[in-house]
Amino acid sequence: MPRLDTASLNRRLYEAGIATRHIKRTITELEDHFEDLVAEQTGAGLVIRDAEQAALQRLGTTDDLVAAMRLQPELRCWGFRYPRIARVLYPLAIVAMLPALPVVAAVEHAPQIARWGFCLLVGGAVTATMMLALRFTILFG
Amino acid sequence: MSKTNPPFMSGVPELLLLRLLQQQEMYGYELVRSIKDATGEAISLGEGVIYPVLHGLERSGSLKSKRKKVAGRTRVYYSLTAVGRKRLQQLAGDWRRIQGGVAAALNEEAYA
Repeated sequence: MPRLDTASLNRRLYEAGIATRHIKRTITELEDHFEDLVAEQTGAGLVIRDAEQAALQRLGTTDDLVAAMRLQPELRCWGFRYPRIARVLYPLAIVAMLPALPVVAAVEHAPQIARWGFCLLVGGAVTATMMLALRFTILFG
Repeated sequence: MSKTNPPFMSGVPELLLLRLLQQQEMYGYELVRSIKDATGEAISLGEGVIYPVLHGLERSGSLKSKRKKVAGRTRVYYSLTAVGRKRLQQLAGDWRRIQGGVAAALNEEAYA
């Protein structure tokens, strides 16, 4: 069944440097437009498969859509619009973020860390109890 | 119908969109239908290419958008801003000047 190839369009737009928010919104709008076109075509008497094929043709090819997005430089993400500044600022931002990464990771994965911590604690307690029991057995056994 | 020659279309979709949105707010599919009706289907584009133009106009401040839930679907409606009205006046003026120039040139050729 012919459908809008949103995965390919998403990839191509991302590679062209289009900002994620514009990619998401464009795809949402295109999907909505596609549904309207299919409804229009089926209303005109086409069977669903032909209606979807006609809708795709009217929307235009992925190449057309990507080319149209490229013609709007203001839709590109910051790094693509100012590549020289981005090349300087991005590495600095990454270096600045390095000390914060463990904290961010800990906050992000707090439940897992708590679970692992609890398991280690229980494991330690069990091992200590066994060692203590062994020690008593050796001393008084 | 064949697609309109793209090199001749520079600025035309922008002008048409601003003109149509001057009357009322609309969403993409509605705008394409309005363009076809308003131009007597003389202008035929890949309909999807309207969205980059709309997003570009919004980024430049000529349009604003809002999401509306209609029959279980979320649609993005566009409307004209004050900046857009000025841009429309400018584009319409440019277009009339070019149109007048081309018409004069064509008439001159007809009488040559």
